[in-house]
Amino acid sequence: MRNRLKVLRAERDWSQQDLAERLEVSRQSVNAIETGKYDPSLPLAFRIADLFGLSIEEIFLRD
Amino acid sequence: MADPAIAAKRIAAFWGGAFMVGMFGTAWVLKSTGILAQPWGFAVMLLPMLLLIPMIRASEAMQRETGCASPAAQRYNRRMLVASFAYAAGLGGALLLFNGQTVAKPVAALLALLPTLPVLAMIWAMARYVIEETDEYLRARTVHAALVATGMLLAVATFWGFLTTFGVAPNVPMWAAVPVWCIGLGVGHLVGKVRGL
Repeated sequence: MRNRLKVLRAERDWSQQDLAERLEVSRQSVNAIETGKYDPSLPLAFRIADLFGLSIEEIFLRD
Repeated sequence: MADPAIAAKRIAAFWGGAFMVGMFGTAWVLKSTGILAQPWGFAVMLLPMLLLIPMIRASEAMQRETGCASPAAQRYNRRMLVASFAYAAGLGGALLLFNGQTVAKPVAALLALLPTLPVLAMIWAMARYVIEETDEYLRARTVHAALVATGMLLAVATFWGFLTTFGVAPNVPMWAAVPVWCIGLGVGHLVGKVRGL
């Protein structure tokens, strides 16, 4: 699944570590989600969406 | 300046290597000098086991530098460290009491429990890690590695069992299942890394 995490993070000038701390996950988790190696669960996807003030569909895109 | 993550990986690899060399080297020296056959010989093996402490500290430093540290992983490391020392002490104690003596079967069964209980504690620590890990990606990575380890253990046990049936290979004690599974866990993490999980 593709996503816009990297762009959204860059817009806020956040590092992967910054985002990881805000989401209370490891930096490797953020990296794995951002690079499409790992698709987050629905609860984590909602947390990501809430953090950016967007809907899930605006962050995660169908292949 | 060197990348701190690479430096931490090197230090962890160094202590991992030091632990392996320490354990196998000491066992080889003790065996070749006949000390291991002495009732107290096994106690000497506790000395190289002390290398587990810097090894785990270096491993935790590496986890922090590579961004995969978590409180659950730290608790797992501590629990495994305690269980490892308890295992060495339990095995040494059981061998010391059993060595060259004829003991009644119920007593022998109790002696067998001495090294078994710490291994049960290790299995409990692994289960607790999966339960306590709040980072779903790290948890998924460990579960994937555990599945690879379980598959590998079943495959090795089945093949070895038939090799034994047909007289090709000697019998192996059942306690070998745990070290084989742990090797499988390492292989599983490696497979996950190669496959990009």
